[in-house]
Formats: sequence, structure tokens, C-alpha cells
Amino acid sequence: MDYTIRVATLEDCKDIYRMIMVSRCGDRRVAQGGTCSVCARRTHGHSELAKHEKVSDQVKIAQRDLEQDGFSKNPFFQSIIAEVPEQHRSKDGHSKVGYALYFFAYSSWKGRSVYMEDLYVMPEYRGKGIGKALMSKIAQLGLAAGCNQLNFAVLNWNKESMDFYLSQGCWDVTTGLDYHCMRCEGPALEALARGDPKN
Amino acid sequence: MANFILRKAEPRDVPDILRLIKELAKFEEMEEQVVLTETELLQDGFGEQPFYHCIMAEVPEDRRSSDGHTVVGFAMYYFTYDPWIGKMLYLEDFYVMKEYRGYGIGTEIFRTLSETAVKSRCSGMHFIVAEWNKPSIDFYKRRGASDLSHEEGWRLFEIDKEYLLKMSAK
Repeated sequence: MDYTIRVATLEDCKDIYRMIMVSRCGDRRVAQGGTCSVCARRTHGHSELAKHEKVSDQVKIAQRDLEQDGFSKNPFFQSIIAEVPEQHRSKDGHSKVGYALYFFAYSSWKGRSVYMEDLYVMPEYRGKGIGKALMSKIAQLGLAAGCNQLNFAVLNWNKESMDFYLSQGCWDVTTGLDYHCMRCEGPALEALARGDPKN
Repeated sequence: MANFILRKAEPRDVPDILRLIKELAKFEEMEEQVVLTETELLQDGFGEQPFYHCIMAEVPEDRRSSDGHTVVGFAMYYFTYDPWIGKMLYLEDFYVMKEYRGYGIGTEIFRTLSETAVKSRCSGMHFIVAEWNKPSIDFYKRRGASDLSHEEGWRLFEIDKEYLLKMSAK
């Protein structure tokens, strides 16, 4: 099947947002080919999912945030789109069938690096090399910008993805160096900023 | 010795930034992994579009270290993006020289970082910690950080330049 990989534009935000919402719905069950534990559907690709209480609870940003944060003078992220020709549009009429979201980061050991935050291909377009092509494009863009490494995170139950990445020459920093990803957010972040006494 | 100031890094701080990066890497037993040079740090941090930002901790002249340094701690950070919650602040390096610990410098650096995160409308601050680094894990957990590797099963992956080249050629 024919497809193109290109840099996203402001007009693509609507589709990127659509795919962000869908890609987050019941990740576990979708990967195992079962039923989504969030919306109880077997297949995905319907924007109604975004209205489901659990998913919309967790997604705090709106389409306009994506537009502002990704397409203004100082963008906080970059994105690329996978597009298919008219004759291969999805059942719902979408021709933008995959995306990747990344940004430039920095390693105090090696310098410029690129972080791949999201990589997603609609289920009916998988198995055609689109995911690999998206990742390859990020590698190209990263190298062109002077980056020495590409980092990303994978959930430990996602064996299929982990095996794919390992076969591409990636290595698991968490098990290799015993690194843990930590986060401070919401009320804890605000308390920290105020200098509240510690627990 | 509660006397210290925190300030934004300037180009002249690059030698101290590299010195402290190497000291922290030595503590992590990874000193030989630091290949970054002062030239790269200067270009990448103080050019038209910086790849990172730094906060420096400095003590007065009369509190210089045994090797004559007044810059005794730093934090290196940059902004990232989570498509669910938006902007985030990523803490890449955070270090205070051994002889200057226990005086609240680390606490104040961390507080300043979180203030920067809140002012920049970030939804959170994230970073990685080595599993064996119990004192640091305790420091972060006392301040409300959660361990995403443990709680959600996230594993950090990396692809080095050699494989990036292979992938980009496919």
C-alpha cells in the first residue's frame, strides 16, 4: 500500500488530536487484540471514544493547545504524519493514518538528542511498514539536527513493541542501567514550588 | 554556611557546567561516557535556540572549595511535551559538590526548578534516577515524586548513533 511520511502542519492538528485520543483508549487490551477495558469496544478509530469519561478525564489538553504548543514561534514538540492516497482512506474517511510526536532533548554526557514521545498507526494500517517508516524519519530528522541518540519509553508488558525495538538495535536503559522514570506533578509540584515543609 | 546564591547560567559558566557534569557522572560510575565538549555546551546552551537551561549555585569567595571553585552545584533542564497533559520540565542533571551538601542548596535548586515549571505552565517535572541511588530516591519521594517505572511499568529505551544511521538509511 502506498503511503507518504511528511512533516506535520497546523492543519494536521485535528487528525493528530483524533489519533492521540484513540491511541490512549485501553492500550493494554488493544495491544492484545481483546476488548478495550475503557470503552468495551473491540475496534478503534471512532471519535466518540474521546467522549468516554475515563479517556477525556485523563487528556487535559485541547486541540488548540496542540496548535499553540506545536506550531508557534517556539514549539514544544515536532510531529510527522503518515498519509495514504484517497483510494485507501479508512472507513471513516481518514487519509492521515499515523503520526509521531517528538522533541529535542539533551544528554549531559553526549549532547543533543531526540525524544520520541508518541508513535501510532491506526490498527487497520499496521503491518505495512508505516511505524518503521515514521521512526526512520525521526532518526533522519534527529541526525540532521546534530543529535547523537534517540530515546523513548515502552511499557514493560508491551512485549511485541519491545522485541521490535530491540531488533532495531535499541537497548533498554531501565534494565541496563537500573534507571527509573520519576515524575512530580499537580499539587505536589505546586507545593514544591511554594517550598512547603517536606513529609 | 547557609550563604549561597542561585542564578541562571551564563556562557562563562560552561567550564564549571562541564566540570560538574563529569563529577556527577563519576558518582554514577559513568565518567568515561561523557563525550560532550565545552564548545558543544556553549553552542547548544547559548545559541539562538537553546537545547538546555542551567541553574548555577554559587558561594562567596571566602567559601571557595579546596580546588578554588565558587560554583558548587547546578541543575540542567529542558522542556518536553506529553500529548495528554502538555508541557513538562525535564530535569537532566542535578548535583551539589559533596562538601557543600546538607546546607539546603539542593532543596533550594529543586524548589526553584518547580517554580520555573509552574511559571512556564508545565504540568509536571520529570527525571530519571538510578534504582540503587536510595538517598536521591528518598529526596524526591519526600517531595511528592512518584516512580513511574515501578507504578506504571515504563522502561526507558535508547538508540545510539550507529543504529540511528542504519534506521535513517532504510
